[in-house]
Amino acid sequence: MILIDYSFLLIRGLGITLWISWVALLLAALIGALIGLGRTSKRWSIRFLTGVYAEFFRSIPVLVTLFFVYYGLTLLTGINLSTFVAATIALALEGSAMMSEVVRGGLQSIAKGQREAALSTGMKAWQVELFIVWPQAIRVMIPPAVGVYVSTLKASSLASVIGYVELTKTGLLIRESVRGHSGSLLILVVIATIYVIINFAISRLGAMLEERNNFVN
Amino acid sequence: MYNFNLFFIFPYLDSLQWAIWNTLQISVTATFLSIIFGVLMALVRLSNYKYLRLCGVCYVEVVRNMPMVVLLYLIFFGLPSFGIVLSGYISGLTALTMNSTAFMTEIFRSGFMAVSKGQFEAARAQGMTNTQLYRFIILPQVFRISYASLGNQIIGVIMGSSIMMIATIEEVTAWMFNTGSINFRYFEVFFVGGLVYFVLCQTVNLVRNALGKIIFKTAAAGGPW
Repeated sequence: MILIDYSFLLIRGLGITLWISWVALLLAALIGALIGLGRTSKRWSIRFLTGVYAEFFRSIPVLVTLFFVYYGLTLLTGINLSTFVAATIALALEGSAMMSEVVRGGLQSIAKGQREAALSTGMKAWQVELFIVWPQAIRVMIPPAVGVYVSTLKASSLASVIGYVELTKTGLLIRESVRGHSGSLLILVVIATIYVIINFAISRLGAMLEERNNFVN
Repeated sequence: MYNFNLFFIFPYLDSLQWAIWNTLQISVTATFLSIIFGVLMALVRLSNYKYLRLCGVCYVEVVRNMPMVVLLYLIFFGLPSFGIVLSGYISGLTALTMNSTAFMTEIFRSGFMAVSKGQFEAARAQGMTNTQLYRFIILPQVFRISYASLGNQIIGVIMGSSIMMIATIEEVTAWMFNTGSINFRYFEVFFVGGLVYFVLCQTVNLVRNALGKIIFKTAAAGGPW
């Protein structure tokens, strides 16, 4: 009956996991939108720099970014980052590289004629982007963005390594306190099940959105 | 102000070399195993038997939606409850392979589905046995279609191998962490470690593109030909 005793902690851990990955996703979306815009820029220098950024974070493991932010940034700036801030920054950096791909794909999916038509009706460049391109592009971006959320959620379990108490760490701590008890395995299975259910539900939602979009288009 | 000096890394280059070797070894082994299991699981997912298909779907969905850390904890801490005690290396390898297999399954499944049905029928009509059919007709095409995603998944395996430090495997991330906690030159350590991962992943990328051009005589991306 460990589960009932600890159910409050588990729910709290789940809430923290959802919250940190949500905050990281929002940050990642902001940075990713800028980087993605840069990658579709006309200037090759901007394209190159943003491309390097995306490639860099795509080929660095989350755990490495996490350690770098938690230990490296603390040394560099002298500011003591809390585990929450460090984990959020690391997840956002990793997510932003994925998001930039999503944004780039979305922007490129809009036919060139749309821009030309809008420009020829006398719209200004920012109006074209804001009223013509982005509203259409966002619809293309949402399903893959859901995928980014799922991988951010999964990556947030790595924050347990630097000692941030989210769902995985909660499970490990409960496991420590019931050591030797038969619940030791049970708790790990429960944690895994929670992750699977949550992520599966979110991916289904993404697939549903994608189908609906296909229908509209 | 932090004084960036790579000189502090020199005494640890020897252990770094072993760490890179370990990372490479576990990544290559996991990639190899997961390609084999991935093809098999893809066949399971496309099997004619409903329950076999269901097993395949369950495996893929469960493993794909579970963080690899949790999978590793399940194997590393959970299995001993059943009396199965695996060494750190084996549990790490198992977790990495299981995780990668789930993704490989999806890659190969879409590859198999992209091969048109007529190919199977035509090969059967030629009197080919099942082995010949897959060996000479289907698998080469599947490989060609899945080639681009395969490279991405190999990069995914290299990145995933960083988690193996939890299973006490001395790979690059573990090296970074250990060396950093000895000499407190975190910045240099992470710079070097990050560079190693960057070089490894980009090498896979470049080799994939170059090899793709040689094998398929076209751009690396598979697709309609």
